[in-house]
Amino acid sequence: MTTKPNNGQAKQSRGQLSASFRDPNGFLFSQGGVLYRQVNHKYEREYARLMESGLYAKLVKAGLLIPHQEVDQVHPELGRRAAEKDTNFKIIQPERVSFISYPYEWSFGQLKDAALATLSIQRRALKLDMSLKDASAYNIQFVRGKATLIDTLSFEIYKEGQPWVAYRQFCQHFLAPLALMALKDIRLNQLLRVYIDGVPLDLASGLLPGTTRLNFGLATHIHLHAGAQKRYAGEEIRSRGGTMSKPALLALIDSLDSTVRKLEWKPGGTEWGNYYDITNYSDAAFEHKKELIRAWAERVKPAMTWDLGGNTGVFSRVAGEKSSFVASFDIDPTAVEINYRQVKEEKSENLLPLLLDLTNPSPAIGWANRERDSFGERGPADMMLALAVIHHLAISNNVPLPQLADFFAETGKWLIIEFVPKTDSQVKKLLASREDIFPNYTRAGFEAAFRERFKFHEAVEVRESERTLYLMETI
Amino acid sequence: MQFAPLPYLDPGSGSFLIQLLFAALAGLSVAIYSSWNRIKGWFGIKSKPKDDEDNDDDEAK
Repeated sequence: MTTKPNNGQAKQSRGQLSASFRDPNGFLFSQGGVLYRQVNHKYEREYARLMESGLYAKLVKAGLLIPHQEVDQVHPELGRRAAEKDTNFKIIQPERVSFISYPYEWSFGQLKDAALATLSIQRRALKLDMSLKDASAYNIQFVRGKATLIDTLSFEIYKEGQPWVAYRQFCQHFLAPLALMALKDIRLNQLLRVYIDGVPLDLASGLLPGTTRLNFGLATHIHLHAGAQKRYAGEEIRSRGGTMSKPALLALIDSLDSTVRKLEWKPGGTEWGNYYDITNYSDAAFEHKKELIRAWAERVKPAMTWDLGGNTGVFSRVAGEKSSFVASFDIDPTAVEINYRQVKEEKSENLLPLLLDLTNPSPAIGWANRERDSFGERGPADMMLALAVIHHLAISNNVPLPQLADFFAETGKWLIIEFVPKTDSQVKKLLASREDIFPNYTRAGFEAAFRERFKFHEAVEVRESERTLYLMETI
Repeated sequence: MQFAPLPYLDPGSGSFLIQLLFAALAGLSVAIYSSWNRIKGWFGIKSKPKDDEDNDDDEAK
């Protein structure tokens, strides 16, 4: 099986993928399920410099830039447009990213690594007289577990004396949310879901604790920066000998780098970070669950697995042994952070931990709601895991079982789902403080609801527990 | 001189000015640092040579 061609970047508008419409130097398009990027004539000089200076090779070798191949074909639907404007200089085929994720779905460590990768790319580019012309977090994706720049056309030729044009964007997309997450509240990364061009600096400045004004990096790049934006908004800048030398520009990059590096967030203290230590699982039940998942994943051989409610990714890793790629979603920032740190430690290339609230999954955002895909639009998955999650959706969030079945049936093809009965201590806890208005929440009720949308292949009672694990396939 | 050409991403006047301010501060600190080294030199104190940062292929971890 191959990864679905429409994973991410699926929406097209006027023949172009709508995530790339802003760039006058080229655009993305998809043809026969393959992703291409047109490089316009306008960008000929920059593209040549990127390739000939050795910067491309250097960045690809370091895993910081997506590799691509130059191809000959021209998109037929774009033929007319390209001919009219005579824009087409080259077509390149970048390596496809397994799963497109967005900064509001990343843990603290993921956003921090994406920021450091951007700065590392900029430093290397400056050494070869190029510079990043944008520093958007959306240009970074996790490829083989590593933060990687996916926009090959992000470079411009460096002009002596010119400040960094993407400085503001870097501060809004990376520095401000990282500082807010580390120093105010980890949940503030959700501001990125509202502000597609990053957290406005005046907002960040107002929210950050006053003590951050004593931190040189944050005082300069956020507080003073916010003040200067307000004061000089719309004014034309003329420099009278006040240009920015290259060493000063490199010092700015170093300052951003050390400010980002100093921001730390220690996971812990949230709800499920130590979930596996506090559940009612016995070792035997835990091992039995692993065995079943391993066997069923072997049977399905999925290209794309989504672990919905994956916690720190224990079962994602088991499914990952037999899946080409696993996206492991969880609502808890601590669990996602622990999972990501483990991915780095293991140098895992096919597992991507992401932050997601299943009761309110990522919407489509941006211009005409077409720039960033919703959670569902990045599917369907070949296989889903929904382990110890149904009681949270059905009882804590009051979603009726037939609607849960619909959701899963629309999200993927195969489903490994665990039914947790009312007699289970975790469910008892959920019901302890509220009236039981869920007469249908029984194994029979669950099966009846899911049979409407799924064909049941297996149903196995997990050893030493009251839970049942099912393997089912969408009808 | 006006900064040109303007990129498609508007960098904002305030953002440019902050960078210029940073550049001035960085320049000042380099000047202070090097004169401090000179003063130390009068007393025979040598600064440690800085590590070679050119070899940055493994920089990103």
